Amino acid sequence: MDAVIVGGGVAGMQAALAFRWQWPDKTITLVDTEKEVGYYRTLLPQFMNQTMTEKKLFFWGLQDDPRLKVISGVTVESVDPRNRCLFLDNHEKVYYRRLLIASGGRPIVPGVCSPRDCNGIFPVRSLTVAREARDWLPKHPEVVVVGGGLVGVKTAAHLAGHNFSVSLIEKENQLLPQALSAAASRLVEAHLQQKNIRLLLGSTVEDVQVSQGKIGAVQAGGKWLPCQTLFVAAGSLPELNLLRDSDLLNEDRLEVTPGLQTLDKNIFAAGDAVTIVKDGLFTPWTWPQAVVQGKLAAQNMYSSSPKSLNCLSRVNCMNLNGLSLVVLGVPVPGAQVSIYSRPKDGIYRELFHRDGKIVGGALIGNISNGGRLHGMMNSGENVEIGFDELLKPQINTFFKGSPSCTRYNRRASVLQPEGV
Amino acid sequence: MKAIAVHLDRCTGCKTCELYCATERGSNAKTLLQAVQETPLPQARVRVEGSSEVPIALQCRQCAQAPCVDSCLTGALRRDPESGTVVIHENDCIGCWTCTLFCPYGVIYPWPERKIALKCDRCLYMESPVCVDACPTNALELVDIEKYEEFTRRKRLETAAGLQENEHLAGKLLLDLVQTR
Repeated sequence: MDAVIVGGGVAGMQAALAFRWQWPDKTITLVDTEKEVGYYRTLLPQFMNQTMTEKKLFFWGLQDDPRLKVISGVTVESVDPRNRCLFLDNHEKVYYRRLLIASGGRPIVPGVCSPRDCNGIFPVRSLTVAREARDWLPKHPEVVVVGGGLVGVKTAAHLAGHNFSVSLIEKENQLLPQALSAAASRLVEAHLQQKNIRLLLGSTVEDVQVSQGKIGAVQAGGKWLPCQTLFVAAGSLPELNLLRDSDLLNEDRLEVTPGLQTLDKNIFAAGDAVTIVKDGLFTPWTWPQAVVQGKLAAQNMYSSSPKSLNCLSRVNCMNLNGLSLVVLGVPVPGAQVSIYSRPKDGIYRELFHRDGKIVGGALIGNISNGGRLHGMMNSGENVEIGFDELLKPQINTFFKGSPSCTRYNRRASVLQPEGV
Repeated sequence: MKAIAVHLDRCTGCKTCELYCATERGSNAKTLLQAVQETPLPQARVRVEGSSEVPIALQCRQCAQAPCVDSCLTGALRRDPESGTVVIHENDCIGCWTCTLFCPYGVIYPWPERKIALKCDRCLYMESPVCVDACPTNALELVDIEKYEEFTRRKRLETAAGLQENEHLAGKLLLDLVQTR
């Protein structure tokens, strides 16, 4: 087989699509532990609250491709880089010329949240578990979500307002601590509270109560919360079990170059499984990054001039059940902050900048110009018009102070008369 | 493949394109008088931006490698295989706004009231784009991409030639200055 991809999440899927497009004559095999491959994990909260059908979760479009083979419901147990071989848990072997590891992450479930023989506890990660939760929820509407990161906040926001009573527990003193500044997260907190979500910040799960084989209550911050359904969204760890006996790990990390190559030149890696080494260690485990990395890895697998990732940021965007949110990056040490705020309208926009360039920020409540700010940040463009001006949610902002038509040429197909 | 281009010298910023686009593509009634009374208010896919001195009508450029298509969570943004146009299939759009963040030109707009994103599809299933038909000064024109690229290539060559000439002049001025001293 010319190439084998381990993992059918978004990085693996995008890699498969890109590989077939880039190398139409080469054959590829995709191996995944789950029975279904090619669904959008980020939409699982909408699936669980029954506002989205299962059919809509799938984006798979290569079923009839004769050069693409999918082996699903099978786990890769180990890799033998010397013989370029994968060992599967069904005792079969798969040989490869190039390998892409996109095995993703596995949810962290704190010990206290996994009592024996207890129903009603769901780690938010896979479609199989989401299906169980979807069936379970209607009769068990008292919900507790553990973890105030992107997955936990999204799960809580989408369950609220569907006849569920929702509480959210986060160990830090703010929500989305890896994505937003404390000031920006206040708006998200206000939005969730408006949806009658009970927030317990700076708290962890201390104990759980099980009655008749079901979760009954959760103790956090010294208080007992009634709980019939417990969602665990406390983060994830790279799924690297298949590499435990290989020489590819460094202190349990799968480190890759910016071109997504591992220590073995025939093995590439992408998505939540990797740590990127580029003047430091980066773990930008977001959905948009997984897409970019999957595609890049596929292109580099047989390329004589492999390309590097040019963006290692944790840019993200979402609609938290009524609150629009753009994350450009967390506060950077030494960076200045510019803020545009209209508390009455629920709008907060901030940019972090250094040496006249955008290095992070967030747009909450009004995400106007998000695409252009993201573009400017990516290209390292110098901001000419001042950051306060740039933050205003007006479409004409970008034209102020730049009467030259050259700027327009980049954004519209301009037909100029002769001599202009 | 076709693209909507704008003649900078003809655009007056009158926003007629916006009105007609919102009415024809965003309203139920399809007449301006009734469209302005609809809730939610119909939204346009073309937006007039720029300063009052130099206005410009902007719409999607149908990028060959479209970041919006790559970023779309649900596959609602798809390229029409025949025309090459990037189209939002509204039934599949869930209003997550990811495409708006990944469009470097800022020409995909959230429409929160309908929970969908809006972008120009060059009125793919109509005879011609309504903004082009409606523009009172013919500032908007439907052109072949190849023709437009040839136009921009020529402009670049002209600009480069102008720069070379300026460099030559600058060198001559410097030489004059040195000789004078």
